[in-house]
Parts: sequence; C-alpha cells; structure tokens
Amino acid sequence: MNDLIYAFCLTTTLPELNRKEEFSGLRCIASGVFYAVIKMVPESEFSEENLKKNLSDIAWLDTNARMHVKIISMLMEDYTVIPFNFGTIYLSEEPLKKFIGDYADSLIENLLFVEWKEEWAIKLYCNHDVLKEHIDTLSPAAAELERQIMASSPGKAFLLSRKKAVFIENEIDLLCKKYGQEYFDEFKKISHSTALNNIVPKEYTDRKDEMILHAAFLVSKDKAIEFVSVVRQMKNKYAGFGFNVEITGPWPPFSFISIKEKQ
Amino acid sequence: MYDNVIDRSKDITILELLDRVLNKGVILTGDIVISVADVDLVYLGVKLMLSSVETMEQLKAGKGIAEK
Repeated sequence: MNDLIYAFCLTTTLPELNRKEEFSGLRCIASGVFYAVIKMVPESEFSEENLKKNLSDIAWLDTNARMHVKIISMLMEDYTVIPFNFGTIYLSEEPLKKFIGDYADSLIENLLFVEWKEEWAIKLYCNHDVLKEHIDTLSPAAAELERQIMASSPGKAFLLSRKKAVFIENEIDLLCKKYGQEYFDEFKKISHSTALNNIVPKEYTDRKDEMILHAAFLVSKDKAIEFVSVVRQMKNKYAGFGFNVEITGPWPPFSFISIKEKQ
Repeated sequence: MYDNVIDRSKDITILELLDRVLNKGVILTGDIVISVADVDLVYLGVKLMLSSVETMEQLKAGKGIAEK
C-alpha cells in the first residue's frame, strides 16, 4: 500500500505532470498560492522504522537521493521551485498544508529570490606539488630567498634552504587563498548570490590534490551559458600552476533556500 | 551549449548529492523526518564505504604492480 506522502518541492504554477514519463505517480496538493509536488510512497520503504533502515543501505540511498534531485531538476526546467529536504514524509495532507499556510510569506520571499535561477556548484582543487614548482615565479619573496641561497656559501645556503622550505609552506597557503579568491570573484560577477559549502577532506575525494574552495552560485537561467564559459576559461587560466576547477549543475537551488519549520 | 562539461548524474558523487539534499532546501518537521543523528549516521556510512572503496583500489593498484 502506498500510504505515505513524500514531498519533493513547491511551485506556484500547477505543473503539467502528465508530460514526462519520470513524473509518473506524482501529484499536486494545492494550498494557498502553492502546489506541493508529492508522491505516494509505500510504508515498506518510508515508514519511520524502514526509512532509518534504508538510510544505511548506500544503494537505496543513492537511488532515492538521485531520484529526489532528478524530479525537482526536471520540474525546474519549466517552473520555479522551492526544493524540500530529502525524505520529508507525511501521513496526511493536513500538516503539509498547514506548514504552507503558516510560512506563506517566507516561502514567497524565497521563491522570488530563486525565481528563474539555478544553482551551480564549483569545487576548486590545488595540487601543492605542482604549485611548489612555480613558487619562485609566483612569489617574489621566495625568488629573493632563492637568489640569496645561490649567492651564499654552502653552510649558509643549507640554512637558508631550510628557512625557504618552511616559508614555502606558508606561501602555498597564501597563494591558494589569493587564487581561490580570484576564481570565486570571477564566478561571483555573473551570479545573483553565493554560498560556501564545507571543504571535502582529501580522504573522501579520491584525488591527489586538495580541495580549496567548495561554493554554490545562484545564476540566472539566461546567464548559465556565460557562467559555464567563464568557468571553462578560468579552468585553463591557472591549470599550469596546479589549480583545477570542477563544475556540476544546474542544481535546484538547495543552497539558497533557508526555511526551517519550528518544532 | 554546456552539456559536455556537465554530467547530470553519473559523475556526481553521493557525497555531493547528500550535501545538497540533506539539511538544505525547506526543512519541515514532517510526520516522519530524517533526524540530525540519522544524517550523521548516513555520512558515517557513506564515508566508511568510500574509504573501503579506496582501500580496495589501493589493493588493486598494489596487485597490479606485483604482477608486473
């Protein structure tokens, strides 16, 4: 039995749900000016107990989290949406309708903020080993230390080399901040809003370089091509110094909606 | 168009996906919700899985060298 209500997102235009195969099973609940796009889901998967069990099943989680994003993304192609957190489930329509009524002003404010815009995610990485190879070009102070090393006696050169090694570690951090800021500022110019996300530690990224920036950009739909084109240019600009940009999107504006129902 | 720089689903890792769909968007106190504790457990599970995949890959890489 499909007894539970799974909520995907809100729209203010009644979505045409019979147009795409992926929308099969979806329906709308109207409340005020909003339509909540929902699906009836089985208790065998989504009851409190079963949902908790399924959350530890990576394959189930992967399939369902992707489905959550896919449905909202497809709706976003034609409508402005306010996405719900994954796994918001109701036993009946009333509490969902009540939430929409109680939070109508805030929902409208959020909807206007993200209207006709999409979220793009940027991750900037830096390969410190590559950056170190260019340190004398990028850092005048490092170049000066190198000049002193070359001009010194072997004993003094050894001490200066040790000093330079420590200096370089700090300089790498400063360069990552400097270039990271430059990337961020370039992308910000074409964006409506920005949000910073947590840096993913190296052990979970399966990469040899370090993530130095993880940000979300809210971009007008008509500027998306320009945004991606700037990302491409920036991707090449400092690639030789060990910087690498990864882009994903368009995402529903998850990072730009902040409504949390009071308990 | 920008289609070739983006893969809409396959290349997006589960961590990136979860970073968006958990704790972001409208957070309702639905009748059934994923609690903060549940979210922590989800991340723990995913990270354990990722570390083990990494370990497996390292093992595979090691085996490759041994076979040469």
